[in-house]
Amino acid sequence: MSNKIRFTNQEHLITRQNRAEKKFLAAFAAEKPTFEAPMVILNPYLINPLGALVLFTTPEKVAPTLTVHGKRYAREDLTHTFAAATEHFLPVLGLYEDFANKVTISLPDGRSTILTIVTDKLPADICRCRNIQATLDYLGDDLMFLTPAGKNLPTAYDYKGDIRWLLTENTMFDLKRMKNGNIVTGSSRFCHMPYNSTGMWELNMLGKVHKEFRMPGNYHHDHFEMEDGNLLALTQDFSRDTVEDMCALIDRNTGDILKTWDYRKALPMNVGGSGSQDAHDWFHNNAVWYDKKTHSLTLSGRHQDAVINIDYETGDLNWIIGDPEGWPQELVDKYFFKPVGDLSKFDWQYEQHACVICPNGDVMCFDNGQYRAKAKEKYIENKHNFSRGVRYRIDTDKMEIEQVWQYGKERGQEFFSAYICNVEYYAEGHYLIHSGGIGREDGYASKALGAFLDMNDPRMELRSITVEEKDGVVLYQLETEGNFYRAEKLPLYHGGDNLVFGDGQLLGSLEVTEEFDTVPEAEEVYELPPSFHNVLIEEDEDRFVFHGKFEKGTLVMLCLENERENHHYFINTAAVVHLAMCSGAFLEKDDRDVKIHISKLGLHGEFKLKLIINDKKYQTGVTIYCP
Amino acid sequence: MIIEINEQEYQSLNPAAPKLVEFYSKTCGPCKMLSFVLKDISKQKPDFPIYTIDFDENRDLKEQLGVKGFPTMLFFKDGKEVSRLEGLKQKPAIIKAIEALV
Repeated sequence: MSNKIRFTNQEHLITRQNRAEKKFLAAFAAEKPTFEAPMVILNPYLINPLGALVLFTTPEKVAPTLTVHGKRYAREDLTHTFAAATEHFLPVLGLYEDFANKVTISLPDGRSTILTIVTDKLPADICRCRNIQATLDYLGDDLMFLTPAGKNLPTAYDYKGDIRWLLTENTMFDLKRMKNGNIVTGSSRFCHMPYNSTGMWELNMLGKVHKEFRMPGNYHHDHFEMEDGNLLALTQDFSRDTVEDMCALIDRNTGDILKTWDYRKALPMNVGGSGSQDAHDWFHNNAVWYDKKTHSLTLSGRHQDAVINIDYETGDLNWIIGDPEGWPQELVDKYFFKPVGDLSKFDWQYEQHACVICPNGDVMCFDNGQYRAKAKEKYIENKHNFSRGVRYRIDTDKMEIEQVWQYGKERGQEFFSAYICNVEYYAEGHYLIHSGGIGREDGYASKALGAFLDMNDPRMELRSITVEEKDGVVLYQLETEGNFYRAEKLPLYHGGDNLVFGDGQLLGSLEVTEEFDTVPEAEEVYELPPSFHNVLIEEDEDRFVFHGKFEKGTLVMLCLENERENHHYFINTAAVVHLAMCSGAFLEKDDRDVKIHISKLGLHGEFKLKLIINDKKYQTGVTIYCP
Repeated sequence: MIIEINEQEYQSLNPAAPKLVEFYSKTCGPCKMLSFVLKDISKQKPDFPIYTIDFDENRDLKEQLGVKGFPTMLFFKDGKEVSRLEGLKQKPAIIKAIEALV
């Protein structure tokens, strides 16, 4: 048996983008390209192959207009006018893949320059549009942005289903546009299974990461921009034995955590469990919404089939929307609502996602409906189930609830998503309903979550269906391959600064990774681990990730050693049952493949990395540098 | 002291004495790690009895005690289970549970 390890050391994306930006700005300063012969850089920030940057100077201060021409006719053109300047840096967004794109830049005096920007074919395994029902009249310059629920990529589709925007980074969870025009989404950097990443990225549409907001409890599922620009983000405390039960308020400028909410203080953990609940992931918070009128947070907890509302200041529980079966009577009496109105049409939501507070205080969510009952004997099989968007009107004085709208029940299993998904409120009667977690086996709704389906099996199928309905009429439907966590309809350009130069920042901090204080007896051997273990060590600026393959039951410990100190990290090789997998981005096909992230926070100096496997301590030949 | 026992031997233990009973599996990495943790604790508390039981070979006993997985540590005193720790734990958590017994 041969012995081998692999090691990579890659700078953070922000560092690479900072360097790329400095390089093209230096070239611009040296060359001073003219309007007639501008400088064109395809994919200037390395992660958006359908974006480019056009740079030129003009003697006078003028406001240029950029047009990305449609593939078919002028009506499809994307046009944006930029602020007047003498040095121009125009982001070109919405290029077609594998195409000689025609781009026109025109000036107010009537002069224009026509460019051809040739793009490459996108990666073979991206998720393509299968069907689309849309018109330019309806969609206009908007694209439908879908965010990944697995190893797919964040992708935006136009009214024809053509991909016009894509990041080659597997970002996590929701993507939301901020008031400054940037988008915020989860970073692609793995930290903890099943789907916790280092934090959030604030980036522009070209893919430049302005800030990474690192969080010690990591980021999962959702975030929300407050009026002052600070961010609510869902997180947890890894020193506890429960997860996905905290929210943090992040300072947008510094990345500092300003306030946290701990739902364990508001709710009992061992009641009202959904079919997917376990003691570890008892609440499974998958959405947060701040409501200014009531100064409260509304939170979706999939594993209690509950949408709850807590006081912003105190964290005290205000109300719970959900089926009260199985909850203690004193909580039912105090916090739950009684259904009123046409009860023949009323359904509670189960294992829901993406709560939204409407302007009039109504509560919307995507009712996945997984199990659709509290008691095990009443669980509904997925192939007999339905998912839907739903809107409830609540009266918090009378504690009454009325279902005032739903879309999806009538579509049955064809629209069923056991996990993920969202709804959006645009205006009264105008909604988005995104069923992005459809898994099918032999044409029926699959028993397993989409993330667990073997896509090499031709009987399996993953789909994402996004619908927009206005006054009861479906005006838009996009069906794609793959599963997508959420859908957000956005234009590529916005009214603010579409591109701001300057170094991106790595803010906040990761956790100090928990060490193990007992070290197993092991004989040190001066060889690499056997190649079966397929060891890969990926070093980054602020952490490293260890990957390896181990049979169940193997004792594995990672050791960092130098002359002054040693640090030990236990690696769990036991089988782990995941009852939720809202993003399979970090999921390995072979459950013997394990990975562990070690933060460099708290470590200083150079460390030799060694690996205990059962009774032997192997060398890796890798030295980790901690600032 | 750490002593490996089976179901019969468990039934003959003095029920009143404080003790730690750990269910483990030979196919479990965390159980192997826990064995080193328990060894360390045993050095620190040589008079406190720690009994280890093979989960796979003593199925009736694990059913009787409601043990669902491994490793699981049960802390007994006066014939009653006082506390239980499931999964791999570090020394401080285990010592805290032991000190609550004695």
